[in-house]
Amino acid sequence: MIPIQDIAFDKIILSIPHAHRLGLRLYEKTATGLTIEMPYNPELETFPNSGIIANGAITALLDTALGAATYAQLKSYRRIVTLDLRVDYFEKPEPYSSVIVKTRCLKKADQIIFVQGDVFSKGETKPIAHGVGVFSYAEMTASEEMSENDIQDEDPPL
Amino acid sequence: MILNFLTDLKKLQKFDQPLDISPYAKMMGFRLIRQDGILTTVMKYHSDLIGTPFPQALHGGTIASLMEMAAIMELVWDRDIVHIPKTVDATIDYLRSGKPVDSYARAKIFRKGRRFATLHAEAWQSDPEKPIASSMLHFQLIE
Repeated sequence: MIPIQDIAFDKIILSIPHAHRLGLRLYEKTATGLTIEMPYNPELETFPNSGIIANGAITALLDTALGAATYAQLKSYRRIVTLDLRVDYFEKPEPYSSVIVKTRCLKKADQIIFVQGDVFSKGETKPIAHGVGVFSYAEMTASEEMSENDIQDEDPPL
Repeated sequence: MILNFLTDLKKLQKFDQPLDISPYAKMMGFRLIRQDGILTTVMKYHSDLIGTPFPQALHGGTIASLMEMAAIMELVWDRDIVHIPKTVDATIDYLRSGKPVDSYARAKIFRKGRRFATLHAEAWQSDPEKPIASSMLHFQLIE
C-alpha cells in the first residue's frame, strides 16, 4: 500500500501522455479538491488565430481533473474507471487565456466516487463550463499491487 | 473557413480528408470520411492520445472529443449553416476501454429544431457493434 499523499500529483498528471500533450499542470491541491491548469496554446484552438481553446480540450481537461480528484480521495493506489461524465458548456473561454478547473468531491461511496469540477478562464470568477463525473474504484488483487517505484513510471487509469 | 471546407467536400461522393483546418482537430488527428452516403469521423491513433500507459488505453477525453466532432460534422453536413453550432452539453458513457488503434465515431440526429438539436454519437474501434463509448449532445443552432 502506498499512501496517496506521498505520490506527487504533478508527476502523475505529467505521466499521462494526453495530459502532458495538453500541457496540464497541478496548480493547487487542498483537502477538498484540486486545481489544474491548461495553459493557452495555439494548437488547442478550434479556429486558427481565434485564441479560443476548443471544447474537446476542455472536456479532456475535466476528464483528467475529475479522475485525479477521484484518485485524491483514495488512501492507496486503485484502478479507476470513468463510468459517466457530463459536461455543460456555459460560454467560450476568454481568448488567449489559460483555463483552470477546480474540482470537488461530492460523495465517496462504496466502490463509487462522485466528483464535480468548475472550469474558469484563468483569473476570472464566472465559470465557463461545469462537469460531473462518476468514477468506480476497485480493490486491487495482490498481483496488481505495485511498488512505489512502479508508480513513478506508471499512471492511475484516469 | 470550416464551412468553406465542407462546401467543397459536399460536391464529392466519396472522400477521406484530414480536418486540419482546425488546429485542435489537427492535433487530435481527426479525419472526415464519406463513403456510401455515410459520414464518419476518425481519430488516427498516435501515442499522445494515451491516458493509461499500462495497459495502454486511450484518454477518455479524446474519445469524448471525437464524438463531439462527429456530432458537429453530422449537424453541419446537411444544412446550409453560417455558424458552427454551439455545444450546450454532452453526457458521455464509457463502455469499453479504448485500445491504442484508430477510433471511429458517427452521430445520429434525434431532433433538430430551428434553434436546438439533440444528437446521439457512438465511438468504436474494430467493431461498430461494440462501441467503446456513447454520448448524448445538445447544440444551439445559430442562424
